[in-house]
Amino acid sequence: MAVELEESMLVRVQQENFSIDEELERVRSRSRRIGGIAMFLGTARDHSKGREVSSMSFDHYEGMAQKKLKEIRERALRDFDIIEALVLHRYGPIEIGENIVLIIVGAEHRAAAFKACQWCIDELKQITPIWKMETTPEGEVWVEEHP
Amino acid sequence: MKIKLFGVLKTMIPGGRDLEMELSEERRVKDLVYSIQVAYPQVGELLEQKKVLVSVNQEIAHWDTVLEESDEVALLPPFAGGSDEAHGWMGGR
Repeated sequence: MAVELEESMLVRVQQENFSIDEELERVRSRSRRIGGIAMFLGTARDHSKGREVSSMSFDHYEGMAQKKLKEIRERALRDFDIIEALVLHRYGPIEIGENIVLIIVGAEHRAAAFKACQWCIDELKQITPIWKMETTPEGEVWVEEHP
Repeated sequence: MKIKLFGVLKTMIPGGRDLEMELSEERRVKDLVYSIQVAYPQVGELLEQKKVLVSVNQEIAHWDTVLEESDEVALLPPFAGGSDEAHGWMGGR
């Protein structure tokens, strides 16, 4: 039960902000074999495709989004030489500059941590049912892609 | 049968609520897509162009997937991160 609870904390879709320090500690504390940790933090920027963006909001498919993030963590643990991976994404209204998405990967060595971290964020953007709406001077715009 | 809507699709349907569609006798995803095309041509066009995918029980469905009344069906517009790949393999009719 405790293990399940701990694992569920490593894959989350949540409205509230997260503490990078706490999440980093969550990964670090999983194993004393970890010797390198790579992290990707996605934040809300104030422009997009030449337009000013004053705020944004994320819609998500409850259940499926969590399922896809879980799948990403499990595939990363299986396909890369890493020890732990954490995948978080926020939904709801997000102000400019705030955290949106966090990937933290712990491995024995840096190369695998970097590779897995990049793979996780790329895969997340491809398969996770999350949609972004930006508020711009022209109105609200649903964003189709941002590589 | 209730069809969940997300993102831009909510702005294309009056009221922005989930769709309520009758399941045809054929009960396949492509039949449901046809019914949506008739009732909501704007959404139908995006389905036709594969810009919007259909998921059944939280997995991307094929056009020949057979539906049950109890299935959880959703229409998924392109994801925020760009999902050309995921939106490209649904298969033709």
